[in-house]
Amino acid sequence: MSMEDYDYLFKIVLIGNAGVGKTCLVRRFTQGLFPPGQGATIGVDFMIKTVEIKGQKVKLQIWDTAGQERFRSITQSYYRSANALILTYDITCEDSFRCLPEWLKEIEQYANSQVVTILVGNKIDLAEKREVLRHRAQDFAESQSMVYLETSAKESDNVEKLFLSLAGELIREAKQNKLDNSDAAPTLGEGKSISYLGCCSIN
Amino acid sequence: MADSSGPISAKRCDSLNASSVSMDTITSLTELEDLERVYQQLCTEEKAVEVELDKLVGQQGVINTKMMTLQRMGPNLQLIEGDASQLSGMITFTCSLAENVSRKVRQLDLAKTRLYKVIQRADDILDLKFCMDGVQTALHNEDYEQAAAHIHRYLSLDQSVIELSRQGEEGSSVDASLVMLQEAEQKLKVIVAERLDAAVAAVDLVQVERFFKIFPLLGLHQQGLARFGQYLCSQLASKTEENLLLATGGDISEKRAPLVFAETLTLLLEGIARVVESHQPIVETYYGPGHLYTLIIHLQQECDRQAQKIVDKFIQQRDYHSKFQVIQNSMMKSQMPTERIEPRELDPVLMEVTLMNARAELYLRFLRRRMMADFEVGDTQSPTQEHQQNVEKLLKHCLLSTTMQELIGYYIPMEEYYMRESVNKAVQMDTYEKGQLTSSMVDDCFYIVKKCISRALSSSNIDCLCAMINHSTSALESDFREVLYNKLRQGFPATTLQDIQRGVSSAVSLMQSSLQQGKFNALGIESAENAKAAFLVTLNNAEVCSENITTLKRNLENDCSKLFMQGPASGDHAKIDSCLSDLVNTSSKFKDLLQEGLTELNTTAIKPQVKPWITAFLSISHNIEEEEFNEYEANDPWVQQLIVNLEQVMAEFRTGLSPVSYDTLTSLMTSLVAIEMEKTVLKCTFSRLGGLQFDKELRSLVAYLTTVTTWTIRDKFARLTQMATVLNLERVTEILDYWGPNSGPLTWRLTPAEVRQVLALRIDFRSEDIKRLRL
Ligand SMILES: Nc1nc2c(ncn2[C@@H]2O[C@H](COP(=O)(O)OP(=O)(O)OP(=O)(O)O)[C@@H](O)[C@H]2O)c(=O)[nH]1
Ligand SMILES: [Mg+2]
Repeated sequence: MSMEDYDYLFKIVLIGNAGVGKTCLVRRFTQGLFPPGQGATIGVDFMIKTVEIKGQKVKLQIWDTAGQERFRSITQSYYRSANALILTYDITCEDSFRCLPEWLKEIEQYANSQVVTILVGNKIDLAEKREVLRHRAQDFAESQSMVYLETSAKESDNVEKLFLSLAGELIREAKQNKLDNSDAAPTLGEGKSISYLGCCSIN
Repeated sequence: MADSSGPISAKRCDSLNASSVSMDTITSLTELEDLERVYQQLCTEEKAVEVELDKLVGQQGVINTKMMTLQRMGPNLQLIEGDASQLSGMITFTCSLAENVSRKVRQLDLAKTRLYKVIQRADDILDLKFCMDGVQTALHNEDYEQAAAHIHRYLSLDQSVIELSRQGEEGSSVDASLVMLQEAEQKLKVIVAERLDAAVAAVDLVQVERFFKIFPLLGLHQQGLARFGQYLCSQLASKTEENLLLATGGDISEKRAPLVFAETLTLLLEGIARVVESHQPIVETYYGPGHLYTLIIHLQQECDRQAQKIVDKFIQQRDYHSKFQVIQNSMMKSQMPTERIEPRELDPVLMEVTLMNARAELYLRFLRRRMMADFEVGDTQSPTQEHQQNVEKLLKHCLLSTTMQELIGYYIPMEEYYMRESVNKAVQMDTYEKGQLTSSMVDDCFYIVKKCISRALSSSNIDCLCAMINHSTSALESDFREVLYNKLRQGFPATTLQDIQRGVSSAVSLMQSSLQQGKFNALGIESAENAKAAFLVTLNNAEVCSENITTLKRNLENDCSKLFMQGPASGDHAKIDSCLSDLVNTSSKFKDLLQEGLTELNTTAIKPQVKPWITAFLSISHNIEEEEFNEYEANDPWVQQLIVNLEQVMAEFRTGLSPVSYDTLTSLMTSLVAIEMEKTVLKCTFSRLGGLQFDKELRSLVAYLTTVTTWTIRDKFARLTQMATVLNLERVTEILDYWGPNSGPLTWRLTPAEVRQVLALRIDFRSEDIKRLRL
């Protein structure tokens, strides 16, 4: 594999309705800024940030997808190889919340079964315009066994936490996977599926 | 003497504060001795004074000369003083003169600028008058260019000049003229607009351009560009309508028919590009730089309208949406497809969509370049941020772009369907010709994948390309790999009767279960042969897949760098690279599959046969004397047969597997032989000559195996070779000649305990001796 200097490599894909702030979250995390006059994403944008978690270098490949309907088929092609999905909605937009089941259906259909999905309610700085109550989203997330987090890309609230906790979770899963796999290396004769979609841990 | 020197000495005492004796001291002296001493002292002092006096007197001459010189210098100094004061006077004079001059120069300069201004104003006033007269004449003569030039001159005049002229003595007449001029301006604006409209209506390009050029002279840039744009748009519209009518009229050649909408769109876009190219110079010359953007905004509106019409017709006539719907339904795994589309049927429409998108991308790139170049002329250096943003906004959010994005949005699932269906078909129609290493589906499958990715690439849309690379990765890694995996899971059937009786091989048990399920009802020798061939072919297929993926990735990289040479954003490159690296990672998954398949082959097909051949070693006594040893020499009891058997069992694989896979399998086989041999030898007993016999046998075996594989054999047989060494010793203690400090270049792979174990195999070695050994 490559000689690059990192212990783990994870693919994170952001999905959710148009305008909920996916691009802003990514730019806040990767570049530390809140872009003014952010235009709608066309297709998919790709960014990389390497973070350190407990002394381990984790390279995050972040795919920021376009929420607009006509880009859906491009977006879908990225689900399968994703290690984690950040499903985003806008707390000031009931509509973006109501679309969540549809997004979950997409995940069900295209993502691999081990994918880690986290639900994010963005724009909490606009508290006075809130349309989706926190506990409603929390309940929904629980019913789908997802972690729920509220963020503000504008005020940089919880953005770092979102990505870092996700990376932490992915490392845990990767370690678990490695254990499981070393226990029982699947072989042909045993009729065990060899096609496991492990993480991309290198070392 | 004392008297005369007294006052002097006293004086000296006062003035020089010398250490000479004071008068008081002298007078107070009473003893002769003292007096004499004082006298003596005074005498010395007198002498010193005399010397000093002489010296001073000697200097008088020099001082006199100096005085003389000084006296002579007196008059000179007076002269100098006079000169100096004269000079100072002169400087003061010059200074004031200079100040005078410069003041005058300043005054002159002021006068000059005022004069210029006066001349300018006089000119302006003359011009104004000239304009007033001229505009009338020009208007009268319908010389609108001239009239506009006059108005332009008037408009560019300083407003204060006009005020000034009105204040003059003939103010009222100027006022009147000004009113006339303003009226003329209004009139001209109306006339020019009317004439341009008339020219537009008459489709008279010469007149259109004539009046178009007049607009900026009247300060009507936006209006001029709008009307001109309108003209160009109407041209484009009628041309496109004509083309579209032709396209849908059905009166087109068979060859053009499949791509006719892409062609119509191309004609539209090329038409606009040509318009931009040919009119850019007029716009720049008469309107100045930066105005091309405005004209293009007008043109793009028409482009959007016309492109939409073409795309609508395309969607309608090609059943684009309904095709998509059918495909969408049949790709839903849950639903049982009611209607299916032959992948082949999709070829033309997929091709046409990608072509349309490629044309649109080319067109938009062209516009971007042109607008930027035009701004560059105006902004002197590079276009401003604002200009750049405007251009991007126009191009990214125009209807043409979003329409194309929508088409591509439908294209991707259709292309994915095309790929999966075609791959499935290739798998179903898989054929294998005797003598070939791989079967048809590998080549077919990669041909399809390559075709689909190339088609996506030809759209020039990077996201579309990446999406298809992703789908290819998934089709190869899941679907196609699954096919090979399932084939390998059926196992390699063993044919020898003993094996079936033993039922050791998992492949056999698998087969038996298949038999029970009634899958292979008529499974005879022939179909077993087929199953064997199928297994080997699948292994070769896996190997070729792994290679093909690497090649595919390399070729795609080349194609991409060629296509996107113009340099898309570096982010786009990173995207492609990332998707390609996912693709190439599947290569190793096929390699893993191959490795596992070979291991399986080794354990199910080779091991059960090889094991008894090696165990046969036990039935050949190695507790032998000279006589038997010689007999063995003449009549090899075991190793030659083993070699022949190995040769036979591997022969099938040598022809059936690719050289690389065969080599890997051979390596697995040799490891197997080494392990089994070791186990067997430890169950045997040896005499001295029996040890020698074993050494000979092992040498033959290693020599043979070395010739059949490129992998190193010595290492695998190192432990066995060392066991032979131990079994070949004369005495137990002889081991010490090879052990520890005496081991030389030999690295022992046997532990001391194992060495003892092997020594114990020799019936002639006493166990006490072995126990006593210090290893
Ligand atoms: N007040 C506030 N506004 C936000 C926040 N995050 C994003 N926005 C605004 O929401 C709008 C959309 O943000 P984007 O990041 O472009 O949304 P997106 O999800 O990437 O949209 P698509 O790319 O079309 O899918 C922009 O105007 C942002 O300025 C936030 O945390 N607080
Ligand atoms: Mg975005």
